[in-house]
Amino acid sequence: MASDPNLTSLTLAEAREGLLKRDFSSAELVRATLDRIDETEPRVQACLHVLRDKALADAAALDGAGPDRSKPLWGLPVTVKDVFLVRGAPTTAGSRMLSGYMPGFEAGVVTRLRAAGAVITAKTNLDEFAMGSSTEFSAFRPTRNPWNLSRVPGGSSGGAAAGISARQAPGAFGTDTGGSIRQPAALCGCVGLKPTYGRVSRYGIVAYGSSLDQAGPLARTVGDCGMLFGAVAGPDGRDSTSSRVPLEDLSAMTPPEASKLRFALPRELWEGRFDTEVEKVLSSARRVMESAGIRLEAVSMPSIRYSVAAYYVIAAAEASTNLARYDGVRYGLRAPGRGDLLSLYRESRTEGLGPEARRRILLGTFALSSGYYDAYYRKAAQVRRLIHEEYARILGEFDFILAPVSSIPAWPFGSFTDDPLTQYQLDVMTLPLNLAGGPGLSLPAGLGADGLPVGIQIQGPHFREKPLLEAGMLLESMFPRLPEPAFVSG
Amino acid sequence: MAVDAGTARAIADLARLSLARGAGETEGPGPGGDSADLERVAGEMSKIVGYMEILNECATEGVEPMYSPMTDPQPPRADEPRETGVGSGDWILDGAPETFGRFFSVPRIF
Repeated sequence: MASDPNLTSLTLAEAREGLLKRDFSSAELVRATLDRIDETEPRVQACLHVLRDKALADAAALDGAGPDRSKPLWGLPVTVKDVFLVRGAPTTAGSRMLSGYMPGFEAGVVTRLRAAGAVITAKTNLDEFAMGSSTEFSAFRPTRNPWNLSRVPGGSSGGAAAGISARQAPGAFGTDTGGSIRQPAALCGCVGLKPTYGRVSRYGIVAYGSSLDQAGPLARTVGDCGMLFGAVAGPDGRDSTSSRVPLEDLSAMTPPEASKLRFALPRELWEGRFDTEVEKVLSSARRVMESAGIRLEAVSMPSIRYSVAAYYVIAAAEASTNLARYDGVRYGLRAPGRGDLLSLYRESRTEGLGPEARRRILLGTFALSSGYYDAYYRKAAQVRRLIHEEYARILGEFDFILAPVSSIPAWPFGSFTDDPLTQYQLDVMTLPLNLAGGPGLSLPAGLGADGLPVGIQIQGPHFREKPLLEAGMLLESMFPRLPEPAFVSG
Repeated sequence: MAVDAGTARAIADLARLSLARGAGETEGPGPGGDSADLERVAGEMSKIVGYMEILNECATEGVEPMYSPMTDPQPPRADEPRETGVGSGDWILDGAPETFGRFFSVPRIF
């Protein structure tokens, strides 16, 4: 059955209104998005597991009880990246290592989504263990960008972003360790929020870089991201890094007055080389902001120069530690080995882990090994402190930082798979924020003449997601509204 | 610094990963499903580690390392039993590649 575009093109806020007015039921809405997944998956490949039966049963149960205004996501279909544990559904983290793994418990984010009335429809594709920027390192299949199927969707939450863009779901959850929500959101023309580190529970999320990982929403509007964020944010006693800083009241959001806003533009991010179309769209976005009365001022954040190196030392060190648990004994893939424990470990890990995961484990093991620890890991952690202090200084003087998300638009498959260092360097726009720990919002700034979306990001002080989202709403109202990808309407 | 084949091999051993034998090597972990040769991995690591040496240009004397962006203290929670939702069900052993009764099974160690 063809999906109903009248339902699949709705934003979360529009769909909520329709549900509460009983214009349509949750089952009808959920079925429309599931049908849309069926239609588009052969080309987009955004999902690893579609939870059709469970989602329809959940939606029917909600409908049976009737619309519940007290639940902020009542009856709304949402996807989660395949690093969130969902009871009764496989969790692979995009790795052969976890093929067939069925968790017996649920991620904190998933529990809260259900409590808020959301229906989980699918688990989305990603680079293996969230390590990558293109979703090409998924062990199962690459995801394609709905704006141009020969291009990557970005990553690592590429399935989440492509799914939103292909109208498979109005909302999604991903994780952002070095840009993995913001960058695919930019490359697929949607909105993505990386909350402050500690703002959203990491309980039940497959770990990559534990001092960097943060879960957050992707959607088609800033307001929708706020709805999703508000439903899951807040302390969780099961995550020792979950913050107890009180959550802001997100129920009433008002965009600020443009003339009162001051944005800092770090020269280290704006003065590099850009793709021509990206440059044009970003220049136009800056002009629109300035003509509305927003003050944009160039600043210097010299430590950003060291951020890619510091990030890849720290993230790889944490990855090598976190992925040490995959040993072929308690769960996951087990290779036969050669009769002894060491060869069982070694062969299970070598067979189960893909090239990028192995590369980062080797780098991290190197950075943590005796003789190199001080020169690499400790040094990177010192540089991290400097980056953190620079953010605090700039955000003490300005309301927000304005930055590009990617210097190039979605690229053709295979462009960087054999050149990891260049790929790492492309993350410079997003990863300094993860080192500092603050929140960032990526939203569409416009479309290049090549037909590919370009994103822009704003970053704010720790735990101030509300003013960040409100400023995002203001910018969203100024920037050109993206059309549907031709793939969707055609 | 350049990561030579010997260092790459030692790191791979620590990480419990196999690398195929390098050219001219007769010793090594042998089969493991990885077609990457040791020299290629060493070369790639050299390139990335070489780039990371940019960190040496950053003055960090007296700077306290920052291992986590957490700012608020995390006092330990009360040490009392509570329902976690994880349960003690069979799912834990059901996910194991090999079990012996109620235990995870591994090759003989002694």
